[in-house]
Amino acid sequence: MGTPLKKKLPKKPLEVAIAGLKFKNPVMTASGTFGYGAEFAPYTGLEKLGAIVVKGLSLYPRQGNPGPRIVETPCGMLNAIGLQNVGVDEFIEKKLPLLKDVKTHVIANIFGETIDDYMEVARRLDRVKGVSALEINISCPNVKKGGIVFGTDPQEAFRVVSAIRKSTSLPLITKLSPNVTDIKVMVKAAEDAGTDAISLINTLTGMVIDVERRRPVLATATGGLSGPAIRPVAVRMVWQAAQAAKVPLIGMGGIMNARDALEFIIAGAAAVQVGTASFIDPDAAAKVASGIEEYVQRHGVSVRELTGSLKLA
Amino acid sequence: MQSVESKILYNDRLAEGYFRLGLSWKTPEVKAGHFVMLRLSDGMDPLLRRPFGVFRVIGAKGKSTRGTGIELLYRVVGRGTTILSAKRPGESLGILGPLGNGFPAPQKGRKVVMVTGGMGIVPLYLLAQRLPEGTLLFGARSKKETFLLDEFRELGIKIKTATEDGSAGVKGFVTALLEKELSTDTVVYACGPVGMLKAVSRLCLDAGVQCFVSLERSMACGIGVCLGCAVRTINHEARENRNYKMVCSDGPVFDGKDVDWELL
Ligand SMILES: Cc1cc2nc3c(=O)[nH]c(=O)nc-3n(C[C@H](O)[C@H](O)[C@H](O)COP(=O)(O)OP(=O)(O)OC[C@H]3O[C@@H](n4cnc5c(N)ncnc54)[C@H](O)[C@@H]3O)c2cc1C
Ligand SMILES: Cc1cc2nc3c(=O)[nH]c(=O)nc-3n(C[C@H](O)[C@H](O)[C@H](O)COP(=O)(O)O)c2cc1C
Ligand code: FES
Repeated sequence: MGTPLKKKLPKKPLEVAIAGLKFKNPVMTASGTFGYGAEFAPYTGLEKLGAIVVKGLSLYPRQGNPGPRIVETPCGMLNAIGLQNVGVDEFIEKKLPLLKDVKTHVIANIFGETIDDYMEVARRLDRVKGVSALEINISCPNVKKGGIVFGTDPQEAFRVVSAIRKSTSLPLITKLSPNVTDIKVMVKAAEDAGTDAISLINTLTGMVIDVERRRPVLATATGGLSGPAIRPVAVRMVWQAAQAAKVPLIGMGGIMNARDALEFIIAGAAAVQVGTASFIDPDAAAKVASGIEEYVQRHGVSVRELTGSLKLA
Repeated sequence: MQSVESKILYNDRLAEGYFRLGLSWKTPEVKAGHFVMLRLSDGMDPLLRRPFGVFRVIGAKGKSTRGTGIELLYRVVGRGTTILSAKRPGESLGILGPLGNGFPAPQKGRKVVMVTGGMGIVPLYLLAQRLPEGTLLFGARSKKETFLLDEFRELGIKIKTATEDGSAGVKGFVTALLEKELSTDTVVYACGPVGMLKAVSRLCLDAGVQCFVSLERSMACGIGVCLGCAVRTINHEARENRNYKMVCSDGPVFDGKDVDWELL
């Protein structure tokens, strides 16, 4: 009896394996909140991250939506950026080389308005040195065509992921939308289509009205809600997804610190992504990683063991 | 550019609802027109940092005031600035900066005219400090809303005011004053309410005078990555000539003729 035997911590307690790749720690940046990565070099150690997930890439450059594009909400923010990005070719030529000496994985987040778009973006990134995996955004709520349909209809999700599966040899992470009734159905659709992992959640659709002017604050009326306000919803969805999923999950939604990240891991995520928090503190993701390390040491348990370790009464 | 914790040196009430905030900061080089993002609370609400222009650099030249760093000037408009106004010397704030492009220095021989109203005066002070001479045109609704004019006078800047109710200077809008100042060798720097900037920019465009405006937009990151603070600009050379620029990283200072004012 007495003090419990402290279990010996396995080697590399922070390391996780997802989609055939090894990540030095389970903390990644969330797409659209970390630019193309290099922008953060003055403020944080990029090599402290498990992976950098870059802004969503489309086949051609995109202008994005008129402003206002963002508005703060209680413990969160709404955004309607409209997926502005430099396009896949300029990313490969100009942005990716800036990360070539950074010792971490780079994951390209991709989207399209048609299945052909998605396939072509995936094909252009295939065998590009420095890209470790693709994250497929089927869940962005801001684009009129495409996005929302793929993300909320399991048949469409299956079609687009299967098509991409055929266009690339890169590991695939399918990013799911929370704007659905049953997340398990979407998990199953992505798995059947051959995804190697699943990330969730993208933003929740929301709206803010300026009552003096009786107009929506955002130029597009609605936008995507992110930040700590969505965290309980995100944890719940990761937990539900974990009950159905065979592939590893990457959890996100309102993670501000290591404690928040651990909720996702205990609920069933193999890794996490830090999004909006990077706007408030550009070093947030690296701090989450060091906080998890501290927890792992203190509890004598690896991240791999923690994943899905939730105790239910 | 850096992200650090900074101590509050002073947070003095300037007038009802207006404050001067001294922050201790081993300041990297600050240009006129630069801004910083401040973390006003450690909690989750308000969540995002808030942008503030740099009013001046303090304690830099030996004749130290109450420390070395920067001075900001702010108006209480909402929750973040209310929280800020209750902060005391010795407390610390997260500061990210200096950010943005800043005002381009005037070419030799140009006559500098600054146009402002409200808090728009902030970045112009730093500009004025570094000018041999210049004129400041201040527009306000009434005398109550004019301030800091003596500090500009001390810099040797000529001051003209216009108030809508005529309680100070001439009665009317600041653009009426501007019209009289414009000549081909003038360069205009403007910061203030968007309606004023639009009018100033149009006036300068018609007169063929170069005009730089400092814009404001809601910001999340301040460093060009969230793409939230977009303004549409016009590229006069390109065929696909409308595109979005970020106020935080491409601006906040833009050439007035490049801004698509219709969308603002
Ligand atoms: C580049 C830049 C430089 C700035 N420099 C200064 C400065 O030197 N001094 C200063 O006092 N302010 C400055 N501002 C404006 C300042 O950032 C806002 O006033 C502040 O963010 C408001 O925060 P809040 O939480 O108090 O208000 P919120 O609670 O966010 O908003 C409360 C109310 O204030 C209104 N509001 C929000 N932003 C502004 C704004 N920009 N102007 C007027 N009303 C606004 C909102 O519409 C709302 O009605 C600057 C803004 C930018 C983009
Ligand atoms: C400004 C902004 C832009 C985003 N852009 C993208 C994007 O391009 N592709 C994508 O898959 N998700 C995008 N997201 C969603 C985030 O990656 C993340 O799923 C969501 O914000 C929830 O995490 P958070 O609460 O930690 O921010 C964006 C989010 C924000 C706030
Ligand atoms: S505030 Fe994020 S891009 Fe300007």
